[in-house]
Amino acid sequence: MRDLTTDQQGATGDIDAIRKGFETRGYICNSHIATSIFLAEKLQKPLLVEGPPGVGKTELAKATAEMVGKPLIRLQCYEGLDEAKALYEWKYGKQLLYTQVLKEKLGDLMSGAQGLQESMARLHDFDDTFFSEEFLEPRPLLKALWQPGGAVLLIDEIDKSDDEFEAFLLELLSDYQISVPELGTIKARTTPIVFLTSNNTREIGDALKRRCLHLYIPFPDTGLEQRIIAARVPEMEVRLRTQLVAFVQGLRQLDLKKLPAVSETIDWARTLVLLHARELDAELVRNTLNVLLKFQDDIDNVDGEVNALVSKALQAG
Amino acid sequence: MSEVLGDFIRALRAADVRVSTSESIDAGKVIDLVGFDDRGTLRSALSQVLAKSEDEKQAFTETFDTFFSFEQFKERPQAANENDESESREAEEDGGDGEGGDPSQSGSAPMPGSGGMGGEPQGEASPANMDLAGLLERGDQAELQMALAEGARQANLNRIRLFTQRGMFTRRIMEIMGLDGLNEEIERRETSGNEKGAERLIEAREELRGQVRDYVEKQLEIFTANSGRQLREEVLSQMRLSNVDRSDMKIMRELVRKMAKRLIALHSRRKKVARRGTLDVRRTIRANIEFDGLLFHTIWKRTKVDRPKVMAICDVSGSVAQVSRFLLMFLYSLQEVLPDVRSFAFSGDLGETTDLFKREKLEKALTEVLRDFGGGSTDYGRALEDFESLAMNDIDHRTTVLVLGDARSNYGDPRSDILNLVHARARRVIWLNPEPRSMWNSGDSEMRRLSPYCDKAVTCSSLKDLERVVSELLRSAV
Repeated sequence: MRDLTTDQQGATGDIDAIRKGFETRGYICNSHIATSIFLAEKLQKPLLVEGPPGVGKTELAKATAEMVGKPLIRLQCYEGLDEAKALYEWKYGKQLLYTQVLKEKLGDLMSGAQGLQESMARLHDFDDTFFSEEFLEPRPLLKALWQPGGAVLLIDEIDKSDDEFEAFLLELLSDYQISVPELGTIKARTTPIVFLTSNNTREIGDALKRRCLHLYIPFPDTGLEQRIIAARVPEMEVRLRTQLVAFVQGLRQLDLKKLPAVSETIDWARTLVLLHARELDAELVRNTLNVLLKFQDDIDNVDGEVNALVSKALQAG
Repeated sequence: MSEVLGDFIRALRAADVRVSTSESIDAGKVIDLVGFDDRGTLRSALSQVLAKSEDEKQAFTETFDTFFSFEQFKERPQAANENDESESREAEEDGGDGEGGDPSQSGSAPMPGSGGMGGEPQGEASPANMDLAGLLERGDQAELQMALAEGARQANLNRIRLFTQRGMFTRRIMEIMGLDGLNEEIERRETSGNEKGAERLIEAREELRGQVRDYVEKQLEIFTANSGRQLREEVLSQMRLSNVDRSDMKIMRELVRKMAKRLIALHSRRKKVARRGTLDVRRTIRANIEFDGLLFHTIWKRTKVDRPKVMAICDVSGSVAQVSRFLLMFLYSLQEVLPDVRSFAFSGDLGETTDLFKREKLEKALTEVLRDFGGGSTDYGRALEDFESLAMNDIDHRTTVLVLGDARSNYGDPRSDILNLVHARARRVIWLNPEPRSMWNSGDSEMRRLSPYCDKAVTCSSLKDLERVVSELLRSAV
């Protein structure tokens, strides 16, 4: 019992250490996200990260790779992605050359063989390298399994891929191995840390979800967003930063097609710094709104609200 | 896996969170890793293993907070204890074996519903032989909480299903906690003239009873959170749609969404995308190895594409409107699997409503359709004529035509010749009639004249019927 308790305190400590580790690398997160990294590492389970676009899902994988000091191998999913692009492909050119060489050598090989039967027997004795690892061209997934010392594997936007591909990932995600029909199963040399991200454009299958830890990253609250901006755009003054974050937070309460995410806030902050802005005002906001909002409809809708939002933001600053 | 976790998972399932066995095992591992010390960490860690969508996360948080609530025993006013400290100590000595509530336990964090947490030794402080009187006198909330939880465990409180069982469980838990001993103690004090002490104990007993009842109620709520709604949904899905109450509309909508989702899950796997004109290098080379690697026999990437086209013609007059509403709801919830749905509405004149449904939210679109097309006197002849001029040219061998209506044409010519034409061109014509089969052909119903030109004519009056029809549509579509 005593031992267990110290272990558990260790867990909280570890989680905190992860959070701090991220912070020194410019990725500001709460302990909820740090907990998920801790669990993914300890349970050796893939982590499925969901959330609106631009909240730092991909960034999380990058920061983790940097923190654990392993290479990041990234696979971007899209409709029509198949195992030839994700997993492995045979080096056809080399295989063809090999058959040519084999044909030329065939005479030597068969010399002295009596009759067809013996020739066949010799052929069977001959090493079959046509389908072997030498002719295998590794794609991201296989690379991640083969990487000596392990890797961080990021399967980005899994919701964009087809159902078939999702099903095909299951073996990799549960056992960290893949089956190549011609060769058999290939196991991971070192278990990689796997991230999957999804924007929820379609529902991910239950089988896949079951095999993963599930992390939902929402838009950050005011405090967290301020810290993120402080880390990413340190040259911005505190007062303007407070106003800016307050404005964006206010904007997220509106009914928009696409709400501005953290990445947009960061872009906006950089824009304002470039413009040497010292304080928010309605004019400035109107001129730079297209950095925050990506639809003309949204910009038109917000236009009427700008004054109210700015004055509220100024109060916060 | 500890018992608390088991109970918690059962509670989650009651709250509509799907937890598989492998996920329960993961949850056990997570608890081993992070322990029960830090509530926040435990919650965020467990939520990642057990709740796997946004909705589930929310349900998880609510369940977690009720299940592991600490408010059960609020600190009683301290004054009473301090004033009578000497007396209470006296009472403790009176109680003899007042050390039943093992002091070593009072240090550990109290957990509701936690009999034997983790590897904690059990039976060491079995509450049955614990002196409840002493416990109440000491007023140690943590200890009381432990006793209550242990009592609940022994009484199998997690099996509670009906609200009528509340009294029974409350009594049983009290008994396990040592109600008899407490009553004896009160009696003994009364006879020995210690009125004040007896009164205090009675007061404490009543308070405890209240707390136990609260606890039982909370558990009932946890374990049966959704069963009421589930029952309701089941009933509603089988009810005749024309009888559905307006107040149940919201649940019905939700239900349609759920059913549509299930159908999508069932059928979307067969959805294929065509990629014509690309050479499948991999398979070509494999196939041509026997020809010495010469690309003699080419294989092209081609996946089967057969997206069913659906045209739905809906009667939106009177009682049929209700069923039409749900059919349209279904069809438009199935966009993912049925991308090519065209809908037409009529009572007298017929008009196309496809764009309206694409543009507006379902609810608003339905109201507009009913406003624009409902109300006229039904005329199947005219409707079919309109349909012919609007859509006949787009009907091909992949099109399924759904007609939803009672075929009551007010004694007008139903123009079955047009339906015959449609039947000849389309892949299938399905007639859905909300009336029971015995009512067909009665009065002004023209089913007799129309049904020969349908591949299928079925009764369709409840959500279950609708689901069956749509499911069949999807199955044979591929």
